[in-house]
Amino acid sequence: MASQTAFFGLFLYLLLGAHYTGEDYIGSTVQRFFHFDPLLALITIVSARLVYAYFAFALITVAATVLFGRVFCGWVCPLGAVHQFSSFAFKRTKVLKPPREDKASLAPKYYILVIVLVGAVLGLDLAGYLDPLSFLTRSLAVSVLPALAQALAGLSGALYGIGAVGLARSVSQALQNWTINTTFVQGFSVGLLFLGAIGLNARKERFWCRYLCPTGALLGLLSRWNLLKLRIDGEKCIKCGLCTQHCETQAHPYPNETWKSGECVYCMNCASICPTAAIGFPLGARFEKLANVSNVDLSRRKLIVTTLAGLAAAPFFRLTPSRKRASLKLIRPPGSLAEDKFLAKCVKCGQCMRACPTGGLQPVLAEAGPEGIYTPKLVPKIGYCEYYCSLCTQVCPTGAIKKLTVEEKNKVKMGSAWVNKSRCIPYVLGRPCIVCEEHCPVSPKAIKLVEVETKLPDGTVAVQKGPVVDLDLCIGCGICENKCPVMDDPAIFVTSVGETRSPTNRLLLDISAGAADDPYK
Amino acid sequence: MKRRDFMTGVAAAGLALRFGPRPLAAQAASMGPLPALAAVEGESPAAITREAIAVLGGMGKFVAKGDKVVIKPNIGWDRTPEMAACTNPEVVKTLVELVLEAGAKKAVVIDNTTNQAKRCYVRSGIQEAVKQAGGDMLFVDDYRVKKAALKGEWIKEWEILLDVVESDKIINVPIAKHHSLCRLTLGGKNWLGAVGGARNQFHQDLDKAVVDLAAFFKPRLTVLDAYRILVRNGPQGGRVSDTELRKTVVAGTDPVAVDAFGCSLFDLAPRDLPYLALARERGLGEFDLEKVRVEKRKI
Repeated sequence: MASQTAFFGLFLYLLLGAHYTGEDYIGSTVQRFFHFDPLLALITIVSARLVYAYFAFALITVAATVLFGRVFCGWVCPLGAVHQFSSFAFKRTKVLKPPREDKASLAPKYYILVIVLVGAVLGLDLAGYLDPLSFLTRSLAVSVLPALAQALAGLSGALYGIGAVGLARSVSQALQNWTINTTFVQGFSVGLLFLGAIGLNARKERFWCRYLCPTGALLGLLSRWNLLKLRIDGEKCIKCGLCTQHCETQAHPYPNETWKSGECVYCMNCASICPTAAIGFPLGARFEKLANVSNVDLSRRKLIVTTLAGLAAAPFFRLTPSRKRASLKLIRPPGSLAEDKFLAKCVKCGQCMRACPTGGLQPVLAEAGPEGIYTPKLVPKIGYCEYYCSLCTQVCPTGAIKKLTVEEKNKVKMGSAWVNKSRCIPYVLGRPCIVCEEHCPVSPKAIKLVEVETKLPDGTVAVQKGPVVDLDLCIGCGICENKCPVMDDPAIFVTSVGETRSPTNRLLLDISAGAADDPYK
Repeated sequence: MKRRDFMTGVAAAGLALRFGPRPLAAQAASMGPLPALAAVEGESPAAITREAIAVLGGMGKFVAKGDKVVIKPNIGWDRTPEMAACTNPEVVKTLVELVLEAGAKKAVVIDNTTNQAKRCYVRSGIQEAVKQAGGDMLFVDDYRVKKAALKGEWIKEWEILLDVVESDKIINVPIAKHHSLCRLTLGGKNWLGAVGGARNQFHQDLDKAVVDLAAFFKPRLTVLDAYRILVRNGPQGGRVSDTELRKTVVAGTDPVAVDAFGCSLFDLAPRDLPYLALARERGLGEFDLEKVRVEKRKI
């Protein structure tokens, strides 16, 4: 459908644009999509207990849904477009043969929604895992685009191999221009989940939209009053049942009374497949009972049980030491809020990881506890924080990473660097190095050189310049760790202690100065 | 942008006043053997670059028609020109123009950067400058980095940028900066940007590495940008106060002599930089400036 293609194209264009384009400030990119998402708006506002003005855009989606049903799902949602296209492909190739009538329960997504809502009330932001925009952005940013970039790099190599130098060069130069990072620690798992979500369409058309999507569920609940209700012209209808068989989301158009406005995404399959053109969506105000919105018996009892289950499950998320003591290697992007607030806001979309020009921002697996899976952390060994860059702070859709100018960002400390004197070349081998010092971007440098005496194996003493860190100046950008010639376990490394965002993970105490320039206050 | 516009304006004005460099080149040629080293001081980076090349006999002496010329500036850092961490974009631009004016088929500008490549290319101002002058700006391409026999005294083989060596002429365009291991980074150390691999391992014997690389690359011309030099916190600085304006360009065919002259800008003697002595021993050039024909000018 043209609208879906257009929105998917726009989404992809904005996502590709979320990188270093040559400008220090890139303006609004794909995060604008997120602001139209009522689930992310609701969950972020509830879990962070803070209303974000950006999310006013979500009211547009709410209004559209109330008036016209789940048109967002069928016409706008880029993940919906992916699912619809892959379902179509599976149907065309006869991998998927839709049954005459599908009776599977559509309830799971509503229960997922309830659990996400309960989590939000308790300050957990679980929306990002299954929200379609978050899921798609994360999958593309951390897995699909990197894989494509790798493939293109391989293609470029092959082109050089066959002598097509000009073409090969164009490809490789373009890849550098797009600054697509190709190394992600969780790229494989995120990619598998994405392929899995697509693969599910081989079992049921738009499996995700039918059974899993909490955003779809929320919009479904809002759509019961909508003005576009399906009507079958009883005189024309030949009761062939094709409409129900080919309904993408199991909304059950035939017989007319069984149609579920909360499931219909207005894909118009039923209307176009109907051999007698008996199906239409005339304008008309007609309320429906909640039970009729979906075929789900969303009984009070089941809702209460799910809510209780959510309440019971939430504390398990909190059984993590990361709430007591900061994690050593959990170096958050510059501008990140204090950990509890950060977790309440981050929707795990991975846009910061897409924007990072060095590829240092990586999805977390374990360091931040179960609610922190796929949140970002800086892994200096993979990529450091570029001194004059504040792109990650600009693309964050929820403000989990506060928007900072480059000047503001340069005052933020992400962590502190430490010299491992039992691995550092001058200290251990008695040979010159100074690589960390020359890369230190702050002026005056946070890494100073002092004369170091080293006893060599033959008993002689070597004197070389060895690095010492001035923690007052160090911002924890990690370029020293990244460039250290000791490849496996760098002899200078960054840990999170001293990070500006944390009131407890502190090291240098300047009590007399008071709380001076905390950029988040 | 404003700054660049200003500099372009100054450059144009300077050129107009001097009726272009060609008469000068002819004048220099008529006065006997050409100098091996030209040090020109002046307000406009473009004008002093043009003048320095003219003193050496003009670009036509170094570049033949149809040549593919590689210009290797220092674009190592994500720093704007006033930080003096990367070569002055106007100097690079002028060289691209001169090379193309001399009939070269292509002028390629490339550097293996330390910070993220695109950021360095853009924020140094060099990408835009090269584009304006009609040159080709290339990112380092993994498939164009190959291990080659360097046949150095220390480094026998290393990964090098094919785009640098597969050219007819190489022009080295370093910037003069402080460095805490070499003391200064000038033309010699600039070659670290023409190689790939784990170049941070060179630091364990950087002087030898620099000489091995300098012996391998053999530039036709070395143009040292000392318009604004970095006097502390090298090699990337970070504050304008780390820099000093010297408004000088030093050009020469002898890379060792150019670097030796560079020392004088920091009140150092060539002997203070151990790699210069090593380079002279290897026959790469002369660091005793008494023995080199130096032409100094002020415009």
